[in-house]
Amino acid sequence: MSIPAETQAGPVTPPAAVPRGKAPPVLSRAWPLLGHLQELRKRPIELFARARSECGEIGEMNFAGNRVVLLSGEEAQEAFFRATDEQLDQAAAYAFMAPIFGKGVLFDATPEQRKQGLRNQSLRDSFMRGHAEVIAAETRAMMQKLGDSGEIDLLDFFSELTIYTSSACLIGKEFRNELGPEYFRVFYELEKGTDAIAYVNPDLPLPAFRARDRARKRLVQLLSAVFERRAAAPKEKRELFDVLLSLKLPDGSPRFSIDHVTGMFISMMFAGHHTTSGTAAWTLIELLRHPEFGARVVTELDSLYADGRDVSYQALREIPELEGAIKEALRLHPPLILLMRKVVYDFHYKGWTVPAGKLVAVSPSLSNRMPECFPDPDRYDADRYKEGREEDAKLFAWIPFGAGRHRCVGAAFAMMQLKAIFSTLLREYAFELAQPPETYRNDHSKMVVQLTQPCRARYRRRAR
Amino acid sequence: MKIRVDVDLCQGHAVCREESPAVFDVDSVSSKVVLKLESPDESLRAEVERAVKFCPTRALRLEG
Repeated sequence: MSIPAETQAGPVTPPAAVPRGKAPPVLSRAWPLLGHLQELRKRPIELFARARSECGEIGEMNFAGNRVVLLSGEEAQEAFFRATDEQLDQAAAYAFMAPIFGKGVLFDATPEQRKQGLRNQSLRDSFMRGHAEVIAAETRAMMQKLGDSGEIDLLDFFSELTIYTSSACLIGKEFRNELGPEYFRVFYELEKGTDAIAYVNPDLPLPAFRARDRARKRLVQLLSAVFERRAAAPKEKRELFDVLLSLKLPDGSPRFSIDHVTGMFISMMFAGHHTTSGTAAWTLIELLRHPEFGARVVTELDSLYADGRDVSYQALREIPELEGAIKEALRLHPPLILLMRKVVYDFHYKGWTVPAGKLVAVSPSLSNRMPECFPDPDRYDADRYKEGREEDAKLFAWIPFGAGRHRCVGAAFAMMQLKAIFSTLLREYAFELAQPPETYRNDHSKMVVQLTQPCRARYRRRAR
Repeated sequence: MKIRVDVDLCQGHAVCREESPAVFDVDSVSSKVVLKLESPDESLRAEVERAVKFCPTRALRLEG
């Protein structure tokens, strides 16, 4: 889930009077009531590909009665990404996330509430060097537990590492030091509570949803305890969340409740955690599946850091081979597979009209493998991003971070974070796959995409 | 040289201002890039090229 970028305060352009066009073609093989929901939960990427091959650049899917019109192809996707918030509302499309974030936080707040919402200063460029230092230190701390050789589960390893780095950078270092192992487990439970069945009703009495609600309640308890401790013993260096909790309304009552601030925290973590964790794992898996690229990355890192320079310096600068590997992992395995908007007033594209009330969507998984934009699209080729090719410059086709006004605001942070992690990890350890290469795959049964376990790798400390 | 901005893409990360403060600023209200010079002097080319290259949303383009 991505956090909406700061909403623009520009004047609202009234919709021009455009005659209503024809209705988009409807995708075949819809079940009664559920429509294509089961296909979405089992084989979502194949579903989107079927919609494109059957209907073309615009086609209507049905998720338990929610009509979702899939736009595909560079041109249709550009129309989607360039549309204004007033026409295509991002937040309204993700109402089913409300049980996770909490009431009034992000996806069920009105546009007006969101305009006054949080501007995450911690993502500013000027903070990046400090973040890189923190990430390198967290990676070293994880490495201390590894010893000279052994085996790790990639999902567990990168999930744990990135929950510490995200908490420390997005929320605050002091704050991160207050967090124990239970918090890590509870957050993972919450991420698992994102079954697409939430389209039917996010409050169905299902085990996964009950676990989700329990996890959220426990998270509020854990975080409240941290907030209270910090409020009782004010530190010299106050962090974002101390400030938010101390804000008062004119009548003296708190501006944000602990529950609300917990919700803001969860939404930021949701945007930055499973996405980065999965990308780190896939970057490594693909480098191990393609050892010629792996060797190039290791050689590049060894030579860049040969002079003893800091990770916090280099992670903010170019590391071309590693960046290519990260971008290629993102292209083939984007962490979000469907981006949605709710149509607020009729959306016209070429001769078609999507009426207000329906959803429109773009799929990064589908787009990132369009053969007309990415030659030989299923082939791993981390050289696609080198000078002269620059396939990521197709802004409305290479879209692991989305595009336009809602493009992931954490994209630069995420790239820096992954560069800092691998700069630290790959100079110290050599990895190899512990399973047949084709057994590593994503689990798409939840809207938060995660690797299917087991996803194991062996490591040994490199000779110095 | 002439700079073009795609304002739909700009998110106000302010990387351009870091690279070339003489040419770029970020409006504090709209959080969008503001060009202080639309056709800056050739002597600024190197830093303007860096700003274009490192813009996280590729909202800048250089003509000529």
